[in-house]
Amino acid sequence: MAGADTSQFLQFLFSGLTAGSIYALIAVSLVIVYKVSLLICFAQGEFFVIGALTMVTLVSKGVPMPLAFPIAVVVTAALGAVAERVLIRPLRNSGVGTLIVMTVAISLTLRGSAMLIWGKESHVLPPFSSSHPIGILGATLQAQVLWIVGITCVVLAAIWLFFEKTALGIAVRACAENPLGASLMGISTGKATLFSWAWGSAIGALAGCAVSPLLFMQYTSGVMPMVKGFIAMSIGGLASIAGAVVAGYLLGIAEAYAIGLVSSQFSDSLVFTILILVLLLRPNGLFGGAKRRDV
Amino acid sequence: MSRIKPLWWVLIIACVALFPMTLGGMSPYRCGILVLAGIYVILAVSLDLLMGYTGQISVGHAAFFAIGAYVSGILTTSHGAAPLPAMIAGMVLAAAVAWIVGRPLLKLKEYYLAMATLALNVVVVTLIVGLQRLTGGASGLKDIPSFSLLGIGFDNQVRYYYVVWSAVALVVLISLTVVRSPFGRTLLAIHSDETAARTFGIDCARYKVRVYVLSAVFASLAGSLFAHYMNFLAPDDFGVDTSINILVMLFLGGIGTVFGPVLGALFMKILHEVTYGFQDYEMFINGAVLILVLLFMPKGLYGVVSAIGRRLSARRSP
Repeated sequence: MAGADTSQFLQFLFSGLTAGSIYALIAVSLVIVYKVSLLICFAQGEFFVIGALTMVTLVSKGVPMPLAFPIAVVVTAALGAVAERVLIRPLRNSGVGTLIVMTVAISLTLRGSAMLIWGKESHVLPPFSSSHPIGILGATLQAQVLWIVGITCVVLAAIWLFFEKTALGIAVRACAENPLGASLMGISTGKATLFSWAWGSAIGALAGCAVSPLLFMQYTSGVMPMVKGFIAMSIGGLASIAGAVVAGYLLGIAEAYAIGLVSSQFSDSLVFTILILVLLLRPNGLFGGAKRRDV
Repeated sequence: MSRIKPLWWVLIIACVALFPMTLGGMSPYRCGILVLAGIYVILAVSLDLLMGYTGQISVGHAAFFAIGAYVSGILTTSHGAAPLPAMIAGMVLAAAVAWIVGRPLLKLKEYYLAMATLALNVVVVTLIVGLQRLTGGASGLKDIPSFSLLGIGFDNQVRYYYVVWSAVALVVLISLTVVRSPFGRTLLAIHSDETAARTFGIDCARYKVRVYVLSAVFASLAGSLFAHYMNFLAPDDFGVDTSINILVMLFLGGIGTVFGPVLGALFMKILHEVTYGFQDYEMFINGAVLILVLLFMPKGLYGVVSAIGRRLSARRSP
């Protein structure tokens, strides 16, 4: 690649930032659910898709975008809350294996419903603002990328404020640390779990809405982002929001360069090899400390 | 579960053997459905050895299904190999892959194991798509010959039905022998508590790899049978969705029993044929079935059947 000059490298960086924002947001949504209920929801990618497709439908029905965006997010959050209450809670005393299979089942059902509602074709949303690409050093930057990165920053700041500064956030964190202790202090762990699911799916939907002007959304579009979000989450050390964000961006950028410089065909193989290596070499994540397991 | 009485065995085998002449009415179409169902029975039973007995979750079992199918397909089309040696080659490769990947992979637990097996499946599929010259890539591998053995062709559905169901019988028999052997009891011990098993001096890693290899070999056999039946392979047949479908069959039938997955696979395959006109609903139906089974029928169809059987025999005996 002799001709790979700065403009090209910058271009890869921009597409890496876009993908990285999605992976970071999905990883964060997984972390939030995991922190509170020690559960990883395989249906997170479907919330991403359903959020995006709901917004596409609303916009095409003439709902103005600033209104369609929050509606889509709230609808998806409600869906996540219902899934937790109706499907996950009855199984809370079963083994982890059963719970994993249940979230797989939820993912399958949601994907199947999305296909029935929106069909097999791809949908795309008009960009949030005027779509004049910005030229920087010969590379072009879509305005939507700025929106995506901006929304990601706002969401992350909001999450940080919530967990650090509000009573509710501290209560939720307490449930994660020590469910029995928290419930003795009068915190309802059930409510905290419900809340984390609603929030987790809301963040997934948010990522979906933000990225849908750049991506052709289809009922299966959630599978890969979910898996890559999980990769970011495990690189980041499962329960660390900051770790998940850093790992999400690293993964997105690494992938963009792999596609640009090596081959788009094998880039997924590369990403998964990274996953397997990380899982094997650093089972607690690059940022997670060693964890003792009681027998 | 107690052993099934010899009479039942004879009855089940007779039903399977006589199907093409009676209900099947020598109809190629109906036999064809059961050929596919038989292939999925093998897949579900093999996954059960890993998940139901040993407690190791896998969301990527279709990876080994793909290996068997593509080795058979490639060797018989472009290298002129006979189907049986190609099938054996597939099983050897699947066993080798499972053995190499198994040791590090099965160290992982729960979510990590689920994701890593899923990743393995995706890697295999992207390799199939990527290695275009060898596998035909996304457009598929065409003109795979039908199964033949010792000069006898099994190109019609009724004949192939007997090939597939003989393989099913073999796999079920081996699985039953395995789970009832000391090896099988060791697997159950690992399932219920790995740490406890280890304190009893069981080398858990070795046992897990062995059962992984065994289930990969069975899945590869199913893949070879699939290749010779379809005569055409495309990467889509081996994606994560296929792995998840096998999971659905396993849980529907009843995890942790050999006959459960047989029932589950038969039921799902026939259900899909009956609802063929509503193919778009297939994914939704699969998900809904899995949810309902997990919530209301944790022991699956086999649990229901054996509960009915127990009630009947309780009424008869006193």
